[in-house]
Amino acid sequence: MALDLSMPVLVVDDYKTMIRIIRNLLKQLGFDDVDEASDGTEALGKMKERRYGLVISDWNMEPMTGYELLKHVRADSSLTKTPFIMVTAESKTENVIAAKKAGVNNYIVKPFNAQTLKGKIEAVFSD
Amino acid sequence: MAPGPEQLTHIVDFLRRERRDLSLDDVMVLAERMAATLDETVARVDTLLHDEFRAIVGEIAALRREIGGLRTDHMRFERIPEAGLELDAVVEATETATVAIMEAAEEIMSADATDPDAYKALVDDKMIVIFEACSFQDITGQRIRKVVRTLSWIEERLGRLTHTLKIESSEGHETETEEERRRRELILHGPQMKGAGVSQDFVDDVFNTSNQDDIDKLFG
Repeated sequence: MALDLSMPVLVVDDYKTMIRIIRNLLKQLGFDDVDEASDGTEALGKMKERRYGLVISDWNMEPMTGYELLKHVRADSSLTKTPFIMVTAESKTENVIAAKKAGVNNYIVKPFNAQTLKGKIEAVFSD
Repeated sequence: MAPGPEQLTHIVDFLRRERRDLSLDDVMVLAERMAATLDETVARVDTLLHDEFRAIVGEIAALRREIGGLRTDHMRFERIPEAGLELDAVVEATETATVAIMEAAEEIMSADATDPDAYKALVDDKMIVIFEACSFQDITGQRIRKVVRTLSWIEERLGRLTHTLKIESSEGHETETEEERRRRELILHGPQMKGAGVSQDFVDDVFNTSNQDDIDKLFG
């Protein structure tokens, strides 16, 4: 799958500031079409209305967590191939393994920098 | 001296074995002696009970002193709400500072750099805004230290109370709440302290390893 800077990206986080940070970093990387959602439920609704080229999601949100969103996405045949990166402060080994088993494409531990985000996005699209 | 309970038991056993006819006087004498023995026993029990009740009263008085020392009203209506307000203020201050810093950075990022002098003047202005915004750290540090002092105050008093009540930390297993169950099932731990969580390098090793056996090796 090739990296297309014009593809729409969905950023999911319940913390507005983090959405703003990721949006700015994505803008610096050349992504201009960025949507946002504040939890998994809202994200899932948006994903059913629009085909996103990449989802960047936090883990710890209510009512639907990023982990639940990931499982919903992988279980839905129309969404299952959507690249999904988890960006989270959840940094226990079991979180990383659970996300990997659920089919996440990459995992970024907060706090992170622009270089890490860029590297993970590139890694997802070079697979 | 009146016979003790054991002697009386022997007498009664002896009379039963021998099957002797007893007169009413014999029975009365025996009853009087038994009653006298019971008085002594009751007196001894009474002293024991008295000592026990004194000990219980002492414990209750100590407990009352400890509970009084907790100053629960002061804790519930002053210290804990104040700590909550301090933390709310910390969240608000950090958010305000973050927004100010991000707005300054966004203005710099989107500024027209074709006029170097104007661009430099804008950057200098925005840098001052960023420095000013960073001053939040001093105030939030002080607020957080106040909250830590409140937590220490509560911890000290609860520690004394559990010591007085002789409560072991392993006692009183609470049943899992709905929120605890949700956090367990959805693997919600929250941020880890420095060094407690995994590093990005570790995560990268997991994701650079496509074979499950190799992943298992990472965990020993």
